[in-house]
Amino acid sequence: MAIKSLINYLVGYETKRKKLLKKVPKGPLHDFLSVPFPALDTPIDKLPILAVDFETTGLDAKVDKLLSVGFASIDQEQIKLNTSYHQIIKAKTLLEESNVIIHQITDAQKEQGQPLGVVVEKLLKALAGKVMLVHFARIERQFLQQACLELYGFRPDFPMIDTLVVAKRQLDKRDVSYDPSELRLSNLRHQFKLPDHHGHDALNDAVATAELLLAQMANRADSDNVILKDIIL
Amino acid sequence: MLPAGSSRCKQTLTMDIELSEISSFIQSIPPFDTLPKPALARLIRELSINYVRKGETLPPKGINDPRLYIVRKGALSCMSSDDELISRLGEGDLCTEFCKQILHIPNDIEQRAPRQIQSDEDCLVYSVHYEVIRDLAEQFPSINDYFSYNSAQRLKQKMSKANEDAVISSSLMNTSVSDFYHSPVVGIDATQSIQQAAIKMTEKGYSCLVVFDNTTSIGIVTDKDIRRRFVAEGLPFTTRVSDIMTQNICTIDIKDSAYDALMTMTAKRIHHLLVTKQGEVVGMVTTTDLMNNEGQNAVNFSSIIKKAKNIDELTKISKLLPKLQVRLAKLGTSSDHIGKSISAITMAFTKRLIEMAEEKYGPAPVPYAWLAAGSQARQEQLAHSDQDNGIIICNSMKPYDDAWFESLAHFVCDGLADCGFIYCPGDIMATNPKWRQPEKVWQKYFDVWVDTPTPQALLNSSVFFDLDTICGDRSLLETVRTNLLKKTTKSSLFIAHLSKNALGLRPPLGFFRDFVLKQNGDHKDTLDLKHNGIAPIVDLARIYALSQGISAVNTIERIKQAAGTAAITKASAENLIDAYEFLGILRVTHQANKLMLGLEPDNYLSPTELSKLEREHLKDAFKVIKTLQDSRQASF
Repeated sequence: MAIKSLINYLVGYETKRKKLLKKVPKGPLHDFLSVPFPALDTPIDKLPILAVDFETTGLDAKVDKLLSVGFASIDQEQIKLNTSYHQIIKAKTLLEESNVIIHQITDAQKEQGQPLGVVVEKLLKALAGKVMLVHFARIERQFLQQACLELYGFRPDFPMIDTLVVAKRQLDKRDVSYDPSELRLSNLRHQFKLPDHHGHDALNDAVATAELLLAQMANRADSDNVILKDIIL
Repeated sequence: MLPAGSSRCKQTLTMDIELSEISSFIQSIPPFDTLPKPALARLIRELSINYVRKGETLPPKGINDPRLYIVRKGALSCMSSDDELISRLGEGDLCTEFCKQILHIPNDIEQRAPRQIQSDEDCLVYSVHYEVIRDLAEQFPSINDYFSYNSAQRLKQKMSKANEDAVISSSLMNTSVSDFYHSPVVGIDATQSIQQAAIKMTEKGYSCLVVFDNTTSIGIVTDKDIRRRFVAEGLPFTTRVSDIMTQNICTIDIKDSAYDALMTMTAKRIHHLLVTKQGEVVGMVTTTDLMNNEGQNAVNFSSIIKKAKNIDELTKISKLLPKLQVRLAKLGTSSDHIGKSISAITMAFTKRLIEMAEEKYGPAPVPYAWLAAGSQARQEQLAHSDQDNGIIICNSMKPYDDAWFESLAHFVCDGLADCGFIYCPGDIMATNPKWRQPEKVWQKYFDVWVDTPTPQALLNSSVFFDLDTICGDRSLLETVRTNLLKKTTKSSLFIAHLSKNALGLRPPLGFFRDFVLKQNGDHKDTLDLKHNGIAPIVDLARIYALSQGISAVNTIERIKQAAGTAAITKASAENLIDAYEFLGILRVTHQANKLMLGLEPDNYLSPTELSKLEREHLKDAFKVIKTLQDSRQASF
């Protein structure tokens, strides 16, 4: 992952976006790619962010399914719940019992869901021109890329901020050993004295992640002049 | 009207409420706790979330529109323009400062608007555009009321509701069977003889037995059954109880109300009901129980006290006093009424003791009156309070007459102590020769207090400015009082000193999290209802009365009579009475809870005992007190 982010950094999201834009036919992905990403020197208080969380049936984007999507935007360091979105996806596979327990989404609810294409289109529309914020980027990146591949035939790259990585970098800087469980969303929130969070629903988690980022940014030594480059994945 | 983004609301309404964690938080905060789910969901969607760093001020950077703020986590301090702490906001507190003007939220009676609202620690703050609140207020009266009243108006509304409740609540409806049923029942096996039943009833002192067939109750046998179905019929002693028992007895669940019990008995024309708990017989309730329960009122008490033959009997009766207080409090009786009832009973005890003393030592050598001071005189006494008393004697008394009065004083004070009224720690009792004096000496005491006042002397003597005749020649005290009031209305120095003392007790600012927030910003675990709420009002009322020549001693009476005089406006007087009654309700409820747990009643209330709304009302009451204390301070 380190090499990949180095390549991303060298090649640049913008260069890749423009390149892919030329290949992608008109449609939701084309619309998404036609809006420039924020520049790497954008200060955090001007940075448009979309906090996103996915619920999935497993960890493998090729095998497992996307169950639901939740997101909310951060604009000028303010989380706007009137931009928030939560949608269960109508998928063909039956849910395994263990997933019903974790996500509290039943087959009946899933039946009322929207098709994957509709939900991804909504997400891409909201995400255009923004940086995606997640906690533990692997899931959202892989599942979103996989969905784009299935729906539009391309695997775009998304500029992302990962609150887990932001926290990990801070911890690594201190050069003391730590328990990986410290990096869990609820534990990090606890560390910043944010309200208890027990969410297992994509929107609750997305908002919880957004709150965590605000706390992380406010508590940095360089908090007054953080730019996107400092925190991008 | 709603800002952009609200168009998506409809979509979410069909589903379970979104953002469950934020919803359950908002739903716990008055006035939003009254919102139906769809309106709540709409409100949630209009929230913005900001992180405010320690030391930063509201509104957060980048917000320029008028918004209502809700503290989700962290703490904010509201400071006045002279850098005085006005309030501190913690989790769940609302800050209306930035939408007050545009929403026409009235200023509090206390006119200080905060100059700055600053975070004391990192805060997570929710905010909502004023238009959302305005729309909710148009739709929901509860929201409208909350934002369109100032603290005095809110308190007034609360009190008129409380008074209504008191009227509606009938005693029987509010008392459950579990409060007064007989326990345990005495049972007898169905195969036993009537003679054995009679022996058992005599032994246990019961007029009724439950007849069991093995473990099942199949009937009851009463005195009346034995008389009518056995003696009158001339049956043999060996007749089984089951032959004469009353069958098909009715039961009532322990959780039912006394009213239900009475209705069942009346409908079936029976006098006994078996009390069951989850189907098991646990006791019995009789018509006599119901009557006794109803009869436990002050009038009834006073008449039993009058009939008591000795101190032992009085002591026994006095043990019921805390029960009476609990009962009255549970009935939703106003604290004013409870205070008057308990004071009336203390008066009855005192009178009966004086009668006993006069029987023992003979009649008084000269006319006199037994005086009560402090809460008893004000008719604001609660069970377990200490005694404050004195004796005023006719000026014609001779030095040797004091021996009689000394005996009287010891007899009565000891008797009161036996009845649970502990000796006054400050020795303000008739047993102290200083407070057992002829009229002219009492007059001189008051002259000194009023003419050459010193703060300390006034502090110690303030209890004597609430004085009432309990028994004896009323004219003795009235002469002194008339002279006293003539002086106090003219002595501004005396009133100034009295005011200065009274202002020593300040109500707290309010609450911060589960602590009481004091004026200096310190936190305390408990609220001293007496010293930080009730006493300051009692003090103010005393000052109003003395400065206006009002002879009443009861606090509410004093405030009512002072209303519209130079001392206090009519509107302020009403606010002060509301505040006093609200504090009183909290106090009697708190004490009733303590008494029911078998604990000593006290005045220390933990904020955790209070609902969010009660805290709001208390804060309102504090503000009323503080405003009137401030205007008192400004007047000298």
